[in-house]
Amino acid sequence: MSELSPKPSARRLVWVTIASFLVAVAVVIGVVLPAEYGLDPLGTGSAFGLLGLSRVQPIAPEETEYKTDVLELELAPTEWVESTYRLVEGASMLFSWEATGAVSFNFHSAPDGAPPGYAESFDAEETDRANGSYIAPFSGIHGWYWENLGSDYVTIRLATAGFYGEAHLARDRVTGVRPLRDARGKLLDQPDE
Amino acid sequence: MSILNNGDLMRKRRLVFLGLAIGFAVSTSSLHAHPMDEQNAAFVQAVDGVAIFPFMYLGAKHMVTGYDHLLFLVGVIFFLYKIKDVVLYVSLFTLGHSATLLFGVLTNIGANAYIVDAIIGLSVVYKAFDNLGGFERVFQVRPNPKTAVLVFGLFHGFGLATKVQEFTLSQTGLITNMLSFNLGVEVGQFLALAMVLIGFTYWRKRDSFGQYAFATNVALMTAGFVLAGNQMLGYVFYS
Repeated sequence: MSELSPKPSARRLVWVTIASFLVAVAVVIGVVLPAEYGLDPLGTGSAFGLLGLSRVQPIAPEETEYKTDVLELELAPTEWVESTYRLVEGASMLFSWEATGAVSFNFHSAPDGAPPGYAESFDAEETDRANGSYIAPFSGIHGWYWENLGSDYVTIRLATAGFYGEAHLARDRVTGVRPLRDARGKLLDQPDE
Repeated sequence: MSILNNGDLMRKRRLVFLGLAIGFAVSTSSLHAHPMDEQNAAFVQAVDGVAIFPFMYLGAKHMVTGYDHLLFLVGVIFFLYKIKDVVLYVSLFTLGHSATLLFGVLTNIGANAYIVDAIIGLSVVYKAFDNLGGFERVFQVRPNPKTAVLVFGLFHGFGLATKVQEFTLSQTGLITNMLSFNLGVEVGQFLALAMVLIGFTYWRKRDSFGQYAFATNVALMTAGFVLAGNQMLGYVFYS
């Protein structure tokens, strides 16, 4: 094993280690602390504009139209329904649904141009409610499949808000585009009376 | 060597060099030394069953993008000229790394990730100080470098085991997945090492290697202190 030549003196090594430590302390306090933790004891964070880095970006602008929708439907025992929205890649949606009894659900998405029947599943469970936000990983059709596995009728109420296009509904023999509605069931794409 | 290389110019160059090294350390230092991307994390948690290639990929990615590992490896091979020595030291590191990764995950034993990562940062400091001849010169005793690399390998693996455990991993196929992950770590280490060695082979032929060997190890030591300090902040604020 080869080493440094000429060998540095012990004095120099001690000095350089202390200096290295002090530089690191200065960097950690002056740069890392404001950039990562939003604390700025030396004022270097605001001087160099580092403070913003530690904050979560609160606003994500969207370009498509903002929409809301409420869907309420009843499922007979063993009946299923699929409710989806068109979302382009990166578009976001808030959702909340509740059922009067436990149902089996599956949140899935079918990318544009995918072969028929192909879908990516993101969440599947047997429950009576779910809330959350969704950001489309690709452009396509995104939404829920619900199936009533119990022996009683179940009512599901879904409310969404976000930057989606048209809504689709598929259940037993009925399939097609569904108009968006507000919480009272009034059509949203109709002009006000 | 050029006649322009007088003391002043050398000193200026060293300062610039040190500045660049610190800039690198800061720009790469983030909260976690091994950011497992959110998508990767979600995937790891969602996996149920054997997934050999995804875990191999994650292991390799961890190694290639884990700059604390890379800095430590740079320190370890800095003065290793013979390929035989490189293989020996890296094997010792791998042995330590693998042992604690598998042991930690399979027995579900973990420690505070920030503390372990701070120790990993200090392992960089240790190696740089060792390269500078600090132990011989200042303390008159040099710990066995082979033992040291093995021991720090244990810490590096333990750090990873701790991080992997933060996710609720499926028990199905856990051993196969962890072995795949570990295999990926070795693949990634090999790739990273190959790049570092190519750089060193090129650099060692030049006069600048001798000129900057000291400055580089001082910069390495500073980067190690920054990494350790960063993790200590994480410990103070998030643990």
